[in-house]
Amino acid sequence: MNEKSLLPAVIRGLLVAGLFSLVTGCTGNREYETAVCALGDISGTYADQKPTVANLIKAGILPSMVPGDSLFFITIDSNSYKEDNLKQKVTLDYRPSYANQQKLEFAKGLDDFAASSASSNYTDVSGAMMLCSDYLKSTGAGTKLMFIFSDMKEDLEKGVTRVFENDEFKGIHIAAMNVIKLAKDSRDPQEYRDRLREWDKKVMAAGAAEWQVLFQASHIPEFIEKAKKD
Amino acid sequence: MEKLYPIPDMPGLSIVILILLSMIFLYLARTPMHEALKILVEGTAGGFKKVAEWAANLSNAMTDNNRKVLLESGIADAEQKIMEEFRRLEATYSKHLADYPKIHLKLDDNVTRIDLDYKECGQVVPAAPGWSEVIESIARVKENTGDRIIEKMLSEIHKSAVEGEKKALAELRSESSKRHKILSALAPVWKQVVKLMDSVNKKVDLVIETTSRIDKYMEQYEKVREGGKDSIEMLSSRATKLFIFSLIVIAVAIFGAFINFQLISLPMAEMVPSGTRLAGIPVSEVSAMVIVALELVIGIFLLEAIGITNIFPQIAGMTRNKRLILLYGSLFGLFFLASVEASLAILREALAEAKTNVDIALAGDAGTAISSQGSHIAVIGQATLGFTLPWILAMVAVPLEMFIEASQHVFSKFMTLLVRLFGHIAGIFSYIFEYIFKILIHLYDAYIIIPLQIAALVTRKQGA
Repeated sequence: MNEKSLLPAVIRGLLVAGLFSLVTGCTGNREYETAVCALGDISGTYADQKPTVANLIKAGILPSMVPGDSLFFITIDSNSYKEDNLKQKVTLDYRPSYANQQKLEFAKGLDDFAASSASSNYTDVSGAMMLCSDYLKSTGAGTKLMFIFSDMKEDLEKGVTRVFENDEFKGIHIAAMNVIKLAKDSRDPQEYRDRLREWDKKVMAAGAAEWQVLFQASHIPEFIEKAKKD
Repeated sequence: MEKLYPIPDMPGLSIVILILLSMIFLYLARTPMHEALKILVEGTAGGFKKVAEWAANLSNAMTDNNRKVLLESGIADAEQKIMEEFRRLEATYSKHLADYPKIHLKLDDNVTRIDLDYKECGQVVPAAPGWSEVIESIARVKENTGDRIIEKMLSEIHKSAVEGEKKALAELRSESSKRHKILSALAPVWKQVVKLMDSVNKKVDLVIETTSRIDKYMEQYEKVREGGKDSIEMLSSRATKLFIFSLIVIAVAIFGAFINFQLISLPMAEMVPSGTRLAGIPVSEVSAMVIVALELVIGIFLLEAIGITNIFPQIAGMTRNKRLILLYGSLFGLFFLASVEASLAILREALAEAKTNVDIALAGDAGTAISSQGSHIAVIGQATLGFTLPWILAMVAVPLEMFIEASQHVFSKFMTLLVRLFGHIAGIFSYIFEYIFKILIHLYDAYIIIPLQIAALVTRKQGA
């Protein structure tokens, strides 16, 4: 190959390489986005906490969300692993002004939930967590978070079976929030602590990235930020 | 170890035997061992010495090359300055000295007028009548003749002489007055001549000033061309100074660009929804970066078109009309981008305010409103900043050109220093290895000192 024909070939090669790197450099946003799922317990012992749950989500989770992020709200009742339990879902628009509007609409839905009188006899926390896991995985988001607003006292209806797979919560950061103490717990705190420890073991065995019990609403943004960095 | 003892029951004696045996072996192997150590010295210390020499040669070549580049750039700089002065001189000639013929014509006119007036003043003026003595004499004669006819005649003559004197005096006064008038009319002409001469002086002074500057630059040029140590040091110091100053200015400009980027990145998300990413950066942020980069590029073209910088020879070689087109195009581009930034800054404030309101509403305090006055001040401030920053960023072309020019020398100097340092380190290693092996040879000989001394004794006896 002589010098004259070599130069255009090199230029062509460089152009193709540049174009290739530009095309491959263009990626989707999913791995940079965050998907959050909030589980709200409506079973008997926790039903009166609905306004608190709504306020915690509104003041703690929603402001931390940025355009492109997704938020699901699932209720925990007697049989939580069903589509009806998904009460609200939103993926924030990339335009900040639209995203703000969507946040306000979601907040309105939460207010309706807080005002509702829905309740259940049994508490299927695991089913709600499994449903939540399915939705979180479906987003393909880079950061997946699950907030459980419940007393964490599971009480399954007869015939309901809940077994987590080994990778059920793979890559999901899970936090239990506003875990109220039951009458029994007050009498014997060890029972409360054992219950939470048991959940820790269960979710970590199912591949969760993290398990935390948050006692203050101000810790929610920190938890989200930490999960994003991981 | 004990297995090696020739007499296991007597370890002390065994060690002595072993030492003696090793001495004999090492004595016998002395020559090849010395040779081996010498080869090792040559291989290691010699290798390091070669590396040190190579580094020294390379650093010398780099210094020489740097010196040449510095001289070339110094010569080019001096030539450019001289050319600029010549251009200025040409402009001075064409602008100021173009009027010189007119001024000269005016001067000629004025001088002609002065000359004419002078000549007119110099024309023969009726002499002042010197008849007073005659009249007095006639008056005296008239009283002493005693002849009535003669007295009458003399009286008539006296009368006409007095009248003639009066008439001559009147004429003299009139002529004098006329000349005074001509002379007083000359005053403004003189003033004009002085003014014209001043103007000529000023213009000539300008030319002299430019020529003296050219002389100074020519001296510098000659010095640089000679390539003396002083001129090299002067050029090097100037390049280093330029590098430091331009680096500081560019660092400040980078911070400015960052502020500019922060100002427009949020509103850009509203205009260019960041659905995709480029190398992990949202498209909206890439767009904001592109806008900032465009401002810098347009700034470079603007300053090139004005002739302040000389980065692109193609632009420098353009005709005046083409440069004007580029200048107006760049000005328009910058104005457009500055306006876009100002509007984005306003949008940014609106978005920030909306987000704050949403957060307050989500926190359950929807009634709280932000002070509108403070908000207006922030909007005006951000819009002004958004409009001003692109113009400031556009000026980065000047330090950028300085940086490119000076960095060539500074980096080369730095690399030379590194190579020299590397050479010195290699030299130090060469010395260390050389002396270590020399010590080893001496230690070797010291260990076999007994057989060596015996051999020397035997040799001396044989010799005797």
